[in-house]
Amino acid sequence: MDDPRTAPAGPLGAGTGVLLIAVFTIATCGLIYELLAGTIASYLLGDSVTQFSTVIGAYLFSMGVGSYLSRHVRRDLLIRFIEIEILVGLVGGLSSPALFFAFAEVDAFRVVLYGWVFVTGVLVGLEIPFLIRILKDEFPLHDLVSRVLSLDYLGALAASLLFPLWLVPQVGLMRSSFVFGGLNVLVAVWTCHYFRRRHRRPRLTAQAYGALAVLGLGALFSDDLTAWSERRLYEDPVVLSRSSPYQRIVLTRGGDGVRLFLNGNLQFSTLDEYRYHEALVHPGLAAVAAPRRVLVLGGGDGMAVRELLKDERVEEVTLVDLDPMMTDIFRDHEAFATLNGHALRSPRVEIVNADAFVWLESNADRYDFIVVDFPDPRTYSLGKLYTTTFYRRLAGRLNTGGAAAIQSTSPLVSRRAFWCVVETVRAAGLHARPYHAPVPTFGEWGYVLASPEPLALSDAFPPGLRYLTPAVARSLFEFPADMAPVPVEVNQLNNQILVRYHAEGWQQYADGRPVTHP
Amino acid sequence: MSRRRIPWSRGLTRRDMLRMGPGAAAAMALGCAPGLPASAERALDAGRIAGAVVGASHRQGHLLRDGARPEPRQVRDVRVAIVGAGVAGLSAAWKLARSGMRDFAVLELEADAGGNARWGANDVSAYPWGAHYLPVPTAEATATRELVAEMGLVLDTGPDGEPVYDPRHLCHAPQERLFVDGGWREGLSARDVVNPAPGSAEAAELAAFEAEMRRYRDYRDARGRRAFALPVAAGSADAAVAGLDGMSMREYFDRAGWSSRRLRWYVDYCCRDDYGCTLETTSAWAGWHYFCSRPDDVEYLTWPEGNGRIVRHFLDRVGGNVLPGMLVYRVRPTASAGGGGVSGGSVSGGNVPAGIVPAGGVSPGPVSSGGLPGAGLPIGGASTGPVSQGAFPGGRPPDGVLPAGVVPAGAVPADGVEVDALDTRTETAVRFRARHCIYALPRFTAPHVIDGYALAGLESFTYSPWVVANLTVDRPPDGAAWDNVLHDSPSLGYVVATHQDLRTVPGPSVLTWYLPLAVPNPDAARAWMLAQEWRDWASLILADLVQAHPDIESRVSRIDVMLWGHAMIRPVPGFIRGEARRRAAAPHGAIRFAHSDMSGISVFEEAQYHGVRAAEEVMRALGHAHATSL
Ligand SMILES: Cc1cc2nc3c(=O)[nH]c(=O)nc-3n(C[C@H](O)[C@H](O)[C@H](O)COP(=O)(O)OP(=O)(O)OC[C@H]3O[C@@H](n4cnc5c(N)ncnc54)[C@H](O)[C@@H]3O)c2cc1C
Repeated sequence: MDDPRTAPAGPLGAGTGVLLIAVFTIATCGLIYELLAGTIASYLLGDSVTQFSTVIGAYLFSMGVGSYLSRHVRRDLLIRFIEIEILVGLVGGLSSPALFFAFAEVDAFRVVLYGWVFVTGVLVGLEIPFLIRILKDEFPLHDLVSRVLSLDYLGALAASLLFPLWLVPQVGLMRSSFVFGGLNVLVAVWTCHYFRRRHRRPRLTAQAYGALAVLGLGALFSDDLTAWSERRLYEDPVVLSRSSPYQRIVLTRGGDGVRLFLNGNLQFSTLDEYRYHEALVHPGLAAVAAPRRVLVLGGGDGMAVRELLKDERVEEVTLVDLDPMMTDIFRDHEAFATLNGHALRSPRVEIVNADAFVWLESNADRYDFIVVDFPDPRTYSLGKLYTTTFYRRLAGRLNTGGAAAIQSTSPLVSRRAFWCVVETVRAAGLHARPYHAPVPTFGEWGYVLASPEPLALSDAFPPGLRYLTPAVARSLFEFPADMAPVPVEVNQLNNQILVRYHAEGWQQYADGRPVTHP
Repeated sequence: MSRRRIPWSRGLTRRDMLRMGPGAAAAMALGCAPGLPASAERALDAGRIAGAVVGASHRQGHLLRDGARPEPRQVRDVRVAIVGAGVAGLSAAWKLARSGMRDFAVLELEADAGGNARWGANDVSAYPWGAHYLPVPTAEATATRELVAEMGLVLDTGPDGEPVYDPRHLCHAPQERLFVDGGWREGLSARDVVNPAPGSAEAAELAAFEAEMRRYRDYRDARGRRAFALPVAAGSADAAVAGLDGMSMREYFDRAGWSSRRLRWYVDYCCRDDYGCTLETTSAWAGWHYFCSRPDDVEYLTWPEGNGRIVRHFLDRVGGNVLPGMLVYRVRPTASAGGGGVSGGSVSGGNVPAGIVPAGGVSPGPVSSGGLPGAGLPIGGASTGPVSQGAFPGGRPPDGVLPAGVVPAGAVPADGVEVDALDTRTETAVRFRARHCIYALPRFTAPHVIDGYALAGLESFTYSPWVVANLTVDRPPDGAAWDNVLHDSPSLGYVVATHQDLRTVPGPSVLTWYLPLAVPNPDAARAWMLAQEWRDWASLILADLVQAHPDIESRVSRIDVMLWGHAMIRPVPGFIRGEARRRAAAPHGAIRFAHSDMSGISVFEEAQYHGVRAAEEVMRALGHAHATSL
């Protein structure tokens, strides 16, 4: 079949063999594009069942659209076929980089995703009808249909085996996309070449070579492209990513578990979040005699609520988190709701989506225990949640004998920031009991217990804890020399000194300079 | 981007520009700065940015100019008539009410009370139209301390005996930043701005400047008074201090040999900010007063509506006595009128407050048609838009009681005052007969309004015009402080109205942009200002802000502009120590004066001081027992 002169009878001669190989190739490529789109969508958006179903559905539908449209093309079928191959090669070949880029840069990622899937599908849908019509004079119809379709399904089988076994693990999404796009264009080049005498189209040939060059370069540099796109994203594959009006929520899943990032900052890793949350909740909760009504500020991931619900004395928990998207994900997404033991679906829990400061101002209820789990005071906006004004308001919501547990950044990394929280709590007229716990993914972490009356600590923890034991709990209140108190100013709305302390500490830490305190 | 000529400069001759001086020329240059992107022009042309010039309607002025010489047909008796509901007039009312005296009326031209401390509001936020903050009052500002305590701003008393303020009302961090050399820098102290290289000549100059500042701050005269105090009246009269008024701040700098460009810019900025004057036109006394009357680390009290919050507090107390929409066009000392003589009677006219009676036979004589202010009358002519703050009195004030004593005031009849005002809503004139009048309008108006009033040297009261714009934006600029100053601009930058918002994630906001027309000839600048249209202001403002915020035009949905013709008294050299200013406080018959003008510096404490002082004088004259706030 390499030589047109030895070709079988029929107007295309030996070209028929070429075209049948083309069927196999384009079938493989077509399915690869579909799998790529489905995989990337699941990586970036999470919930792979939904992503795969919708991508496959959209793809098949648009192929149907392509097949339907094919009837409108009457003349120069071979030329149109070559053009389509070049286009499919480019669109399909650039799908990975385009989707990764769109995810990082474009708000309406889904529009780009399904648009891309649709265009690819329409083009792929045109291919087989064209080929059948081109080949219709070479074979009897029953023979033609059986040959073309069997090759088509064979190509699909090849793709479905190659993709998970070799392409994703060895070649990578980025390079696979370029390589298969290139194969599609090769079909065009090859076809041009074989039918060059009957259809001399030097421009078309040049276009095909041009497309091949683009995809070849892409394949060559796809490691760099991948590195670039991952640098823009995260260490581990992203399993869910959402942008709410308040923040960007990203969940990744890797070898050591699920991690939650808010605006790029790690909030927890399932590897050790139980340490963080047990230490946040239980020392304070145990110290309160009758913690019936509990308030959680921040902490929309529901992990702190999970800890609270372990204690049977807790009758009702009100969770106030700014972002409904956060609480929805951790209540309704099976994969993430399991992380908090479906705490947010408990009848004991009420979820309020509101700004904590404003909500505290407008709400007059009192609570026995309050968990304050805000992001670190990285910005002036967040710093407001660590001021005397905020803690005074908090004090006004505590029943006598009640207490609040406040996450207070790392006393090792940002020693001044930690002790500033302690002093600010005191300046707001509350008693403060600082403590800390080691959380490997975070480092040494700090907390403050704040209470209107001095607190008597207790060891009566609920069963089912993985980290806290009475002896460990007692040790948390001891501060080693390198985390001991330092003189600090009180954080006020009008000075926001804490934001500066925090930035200093973490900057020095990032720079690798020793953290020194005058 | 194109360097385009501002179209509205066409009507202006070169001579006009020269007369207006460099400041206004610079302001106009804003419009042709190479900064306004074509997209911003398109946004304005396409009407994507809405807005209006508010407060330059002059409707009320025309009522008078168009030949209407209103004859009051109604008379109302009140014990005290307060003219003008700015901070001074409202403070007088506040003091009277606080002392248990309720038979007074406050007559205000505008639909809303507050004067330079008025405010507006839209769906996004309340915002100031003028005064936007009150520095934490110093010990001398006793009346202001009394006021802020009454407002509930003080949490308790610190170990040093000083009040501890609720941090919610103190300006939150970050307070100030400066756009300079293409980037923002936090802080706006002399040191932040000059930022000298250690050991440089500039560092030495800055140190000398700071030392001078400390010297004046620490100064105490033989009577223990500080060199510069708030109110001004509580400061030292020593020649060493008063003498500073003989030169400009610029001359002071020249004599000291301070040449640092940054330091001069900084002090010039401060003068523009506080007085609407430049380094050249501010007296050295006023310049140092700005730096030395308050402690180094002074904090500011501020709210979304600025000092409008304080006005609201006043209105809570005395709003029922404030009559808005009342253009006072004539005030006349009388020998016969008096509170308590006639009162009650029928109410006529939809909006006429209770207590007004038809002027029939009870009116003491015909209304003089002379002395009508006409076009020369200073009309604030501004309305703040959607929010209406002032209120007509709900009921009839108690009848006045005849005074126990009468203040002698030379040849001028001193036992009564007639105040004629045009109710701009019904366009009917009303005469208020009062025992006493507190005149709290800007002082330059007095000869136009008060019968037979003359004050030698009154022409030395000059005023800087200001432009204030409120821009509604989809969110505050990244890293915005409360006060955001532009180094290379005749404007003062902008203040963020939602800065005190406690929400963690900021929503839409309003930016209040300030432009003092700090030029040698304010009259020409005023005329230029009044000739501009909204489109002119909008592109001028955007061109100013675009240097620091390239995307500003896509963030702004509305620009409203307020033109203040006589915004601030100018403390030019010689004014503070001048005869006219000192004599201006002398009463005219039963008329007492209260306005920040008389301090020579336009700040809240001064306005309040004069209002409270005048109220106490009136109560003394009436024999009304009261505790002094001064
Ligand atoms: C743009 C701007 C910003 C400022 N910012 C600050 C600041 O941040 N902090 C600060 O302390 N000070 C600030 N000031 C200074 C401010 O002027 C004083 O704080 C104070 O508000 C002045 O009050 P006043 O009563 O003396 O005068 P005005 O406010 O001038 O009061 C005079 C009143 O008389 C009324 N009136 C005029 N003519 C008539 C008439 N014919 N009949 C009836 N009523 C009439 C006016 O409408 C007005 O209400 C600012 C001023 C301006 C213009």
